[in-house]
Amino acid sequence: MSPKKVIAGIEREVPQDTRSTVTRLFGYLHGQRIRLTVVAVSIVIYVALSIWNPMYSAIVINHLWQSVQEAWQTGTPFSVTATMGRELIQLTVQYLFTWLFYYFQSWLMANVAENLVLELRSQIARKLNRLPLRFFDRNKAGEILSRVTSDLDKIAEVLQTGLLKLIVAIGTIIGSLIVMFYYSVPLTCLFLVFMAVSMVVTNLVARKNLRCAAERQETIAVLTGVVEEYYNGRDVIKAYNHEAESIQMVSQAAEANRLANQKADFLTNCVNPLIRLLTRLAQVVIAVISGKAMLDGTMSVGVVQAFFQYVNQTAEPLTEASYMINSLQAALASAERTFQMLDEEERPDPDSPALLERAKGSIAFEHVSFGYDPDRLLMRDISFTAQPGQKIAVVGSTGAGKTTLINLLMRFYEVNGGRITVDGVNTADMTRSGLRHNFGMVLQDTWLFGGTVAENIAYGRPDATREEIIAAAKAAKVDYFIRTMPKGYDTVLDNEAANLSAGQRQLLTIARVFLCDPPILILDEATSSVDTRTEVEIGKAMKRLMQGRTSFVIAHRLSTIRDADMILFMEQGNIIEQGDHKTLLAKGGAYAALYYSQFE
Amino acid sequence: MKLILRFLKPHWKLCALTIILLIVDVAGALFIPTLVAEILNSGTSGATFDAIVQTGFQMAVVSVLAGLCAILGGYACAVLSAQVGKDMREAIYAKSLKLSVYDFRQFGTASITTRTISDITTIQFALTSTLQMVIPVPIICVLALALTFGLDAQLGLILLVVVAAVLLLAWGIMRKASPLFRRLQKLLDRMSTVLLENITGVRVVRAFNNEEREIGRMTTAFADYAGTSIKANRLFANLDGLSFFCINFFVVVVYWLSGGHISAGGLQVGDITAVIEYAMMVLFFLMMAQMVILTLPRALECCERVRLVLDHTPEIEDLVLRDVSFRFQDAEEDTLGHLDFVCRRGQTTAIIGGTGSGKSTVASLILRFHDVTDGSITLNGTDIRDMTQQYLRDHLGYVQQKAWLFSGTIADNLRYSRPKASADELMHAADVAQAGDFIRSLPDGFHAYVAQGGTNFSGGQKQRLSIARALVKKPELYIFDDSFSALDFKTDAALRKALAKESGDAAVLIIAQRVSSIRHANQIVVLHEGRMAGIGTHEELMATCKVYQEIYESQTKEAKEA
Repeated sequence: MSPKKVIAGIEREVPQDTRSTVTRLFGYLHGQRIRLTVVAVSIVIYVALSIWNPMYSAIVINHLWQSVQEAWQTGTPFSVTATMGRELIQLTVQYLFTWLFYYFQSWLMANVAENLVLELRSQIARKLNRLPLRFFDRNKAGEILSRVTSDLDKIAEVLQTGLLKLIVAIGTIIGSLIVMFYYSVPLTCLFLVFMAVSMVVTNLVARKNLRCAAERQETIAVLTGVVEEYYNGRDVIKAYNHEAESIQMVSQAAEANRLANQKADFLTNCVNPLIRLLTRLAQVVIAVISGKAMLDGTMSVGVVQAFFQYVNQTAEPLTEASYMINSLQAALASAERTFQMLDEEERPDPDSPALLERAKGSIAFEHVSFGYDPDRLLMRDISFTAQPGQKIAVVGSTGAGKTTLINLLMRFYEVNGGRITVDGVNTADMTRSGLRHNFGMVLQDTWLFGGTVAENIAYGRPDATREEIIAAAKAAKVDYFIRTMPKGYDTVLDNEAANLSAGQRQLLTIARVFLCDPPILILDEATSSVDTRTEVEIGKAMKRLMQGRTSFVIAHRLSTIRDADMILFMEQGNIIEQGDHKTLLAKGGAYAALYYSQFE
Repeated sequence: MKLILRFLKPHWKLCALTIILLIVDVAGALFIPTLVAEILNSGTSGATFDAIVQTGFQMAVVSVLAGLCAILGGYACAVLSAQVGKDMREAIYAKSLKLSVYDFRQFGTASITTRTISDITTIQFALTSTLQMVIPVPIICVLALALTFGLDAQLGLILLVVVAAVLLLAWGIMRKASPLFRRLQKLLDRMSTVLLENITGVRVVRAFNNEEREIGRMTTAFADYAGTSIKANRLFANLDGLSFFCINFFVVVVYWLSGGHISAGGLQVGDITAVIEYAMMVLFFLMMAQMVILTLPRALECCERVRLVLDHTPEIEDLVLRDVSFRFQDAEEDTLGHLDFVCRRGQTTAIIGGTGSGKSTVASLILRFHDVTDGSITLNGTDIRDMTQQYLRDHLGYVQQKAWLFSGTIADNLRYSRPKASADELMHAADVAQAGDFIRSLPDGFHAYVAQGGTNFSGGQKQRLSIARALVKKPELYIFDDSFSALDFKTDAALRKALAKESGDAAVLIIAQRVSSIRHANQIVVLHEGRMAGIGTHEELMATCKVYQEIYESQTKEAKEA
């Protein structure tokens, strides 16, 4: 048994509704019923055998001791085969079966836990692709990640080892104690007193340990904060000659963490020696008393040594029971969180959706209102119409609601009032995929996945041929650049595509849209992170892409805005002015004011 | 591994103490069954109760002693690993400050943070476990065998065989398990990557209607992980079960043999318990060690990642011009054609050529006032077109031919690129630029007023001040664009000498007309009508390059005539 592992699991995480979580978790085991039954039977036999073995060894040793004494008395030489061949063979067989059933249950359980967790993970994968975007805006990526990885690993580990151990431990403890009471009531009571003390002591240490672990967690959070900040602000630190000061600050945080570490580690390290010390003291007392009993002839040598085997067998699981229960609870809490995620609300598609094979590209917002929080509307009564092939520039400061507009167009979010139509069809009547099929999107926040360049370009059309991919890359003017990469189109973009500059990434996403050839576009013009030359390239590529398509451009560049068929000027979530450049300038409103302050 | 030793070395006394304490604990653990056996023997051989009590007392003493040592050892171990962790973190941070911007960016903020925090936490944990669970193993094996041999040579021999068998088994399973565990770690990373891609890219996934494909990608990653986990779990089911069976088999053998040995008088009946207990202890420690050893590859990987930062020696970072051509818009002919050379760190590269040879255009390309028409310019391995202009210019110190100063004090001007520069640094830069003397001769010194454009100073003074300004910045690449032309020959020479010391491992690019300014450069590029007419040292060029010889001769003649 590995005490380290158990101690690492000290966490006071308690599920809110244990019963329903357990029921639901066991529901997942339904398909593995036969396997589980075999496991359960194996466990019972294994436990029974491990209780029976020491008892039988007591018989063997007593028999051995008797035979030896007889041999001494009669003066005949001692012969094993003659006196105890049968017993030893039986013992061997017993051990063989112990091993067999142990092997059975752990071999079978190896599948059970992992299959269960795999099932949960697959469900999450499906769920993640159906959840409304609201969910992703509300939950941090890191949190979702840890739910799927470490939370579920915890469940697997607890089911795999923890639960088995607990069941085996409980069985062994109960069985052993019964045998021990049968051998000697006073000795067993004495042993239990020591164990009670031991449990109290370990519980005290565990509680202290919990506080220290929290403290350690805090200091590590502080330290992380400090170094992260300093690494990010490295240039400033160097420019201002603050190296020495920063080293001192890091050192301070590291020292705080060192002290917390030292304390927490010490407590962890001393739990086991403490348990062992108490168990040994119990052994001392038991040894002395049973020695007396042997002298008095009330206990045989076989029984005494068997009793010691039971002491060893019971002491550890008894003191660790509380740890095991803790980690079991933590695992249940993890399961509960997973279930919560699986129970998140979805917005299903309509049953008989309207079909729109390839839209012409006219889009209308009709009295649309929307708020991320339905009680606090951001957009109120927005209406506008875009004709097929038109270019619509969306202008406004950060937070003016440009992204919201895109979210609604793509139905990442649902409107709270009014409707949005494409070619006169209400988008809410279509399936989401049917709608999105007509859209192409290039965002500033480019997203590439771990795969080859070709795979990334073909993301929207996995069936595209290499020729089509290259044609798309040529249209986006990245073909040359791709060819300069080590393996050309087969270069693997790893690690968040760190080997590409922001501009190159954006060109790749433009190629992606070229390949899909959608009738409607959503583009986000590059701003800061791209150098001027690449910016011009991107501008050109976008221009080519927009030809003959209805395009919504989140525009930052004057030329784009001036050329637009319509400008939507947004402020605080609403479109406050719309019209082309000339009309809006003539109007002399907010757009005109911005135009004169920024662009002239 | 070496990394750990390097950080343990300063604390070797504590380290030794920890190990000694742990050894005493282990020895105590083995001594207890010996004493229990003695009591059993006393009980069967009809000794007095006093003798039993006495042995019991010994047992209590040993228990307390071993317990104390274990607790103290645990404390020493905690102190040690906490200290090592702190030392490592401080070392990484200090080293990070020494890295160049380029090197630091190669690691990345996120990665260095991980290395500073969680990697070292993993190392600390591994260190603690190794000290407590792995180091005692050989000791316990030796002690247990010695004690068994002491009781009965034959049993000792058999225990040796059994322990060897378990070790062999463990070794075999470890060999199979460790690649499995490495793979598990990779699959775990893969799982996280795919998940993160799905979370951060959720809009794109949905925009392209690729939900089903992503579900497939995730499920594959999850299934691979589950499959490998199952394999690993099964291996351990094998190991646990088989090791237990080995020991139990040993128990049967002990029972089998001990009867004869006891009747022959060599062994006592209580000793059976002791021998079995020794075997159990060995098995227990072996299995614990096994668990720890399996986690070690990951810790070693963390060590390696930390070491890579600590031992990082900056690559030689150069400015490389590869087949650079440049043509002004609407021009018919290239201003520069096929330039191909490298400015190395710690070296001086010079470009020489007549008026209209295009030598100043080179500087404007490096500064990205213009972009190359063909070919590429890379700084520290990155194309300068892929850097922000800000980043690029942060690394360059540029001194123009026509020095321009701002209105304000001299100190203001020198601090222009680095406002926090200390007075000492200003003084030093001014001295290197040969401007220290005349600044000190001014009534207000560094606080002397500079008119706009620096018109209240002579051309040579302005040039020296603008050189000092670049020196204060401490850039990685200096570009002196004909900056020495307004200096007299003596000042020119003194300045170049001081500069050579000052520029250290920065790269220096001097664009000049005068051979005398550049003849000691490590390499000289000769430009003629926008093409490279030669490259090499002064001596080499004098021997081979006609254009260079002509320039040299025309200038020495001028000098003689003047």
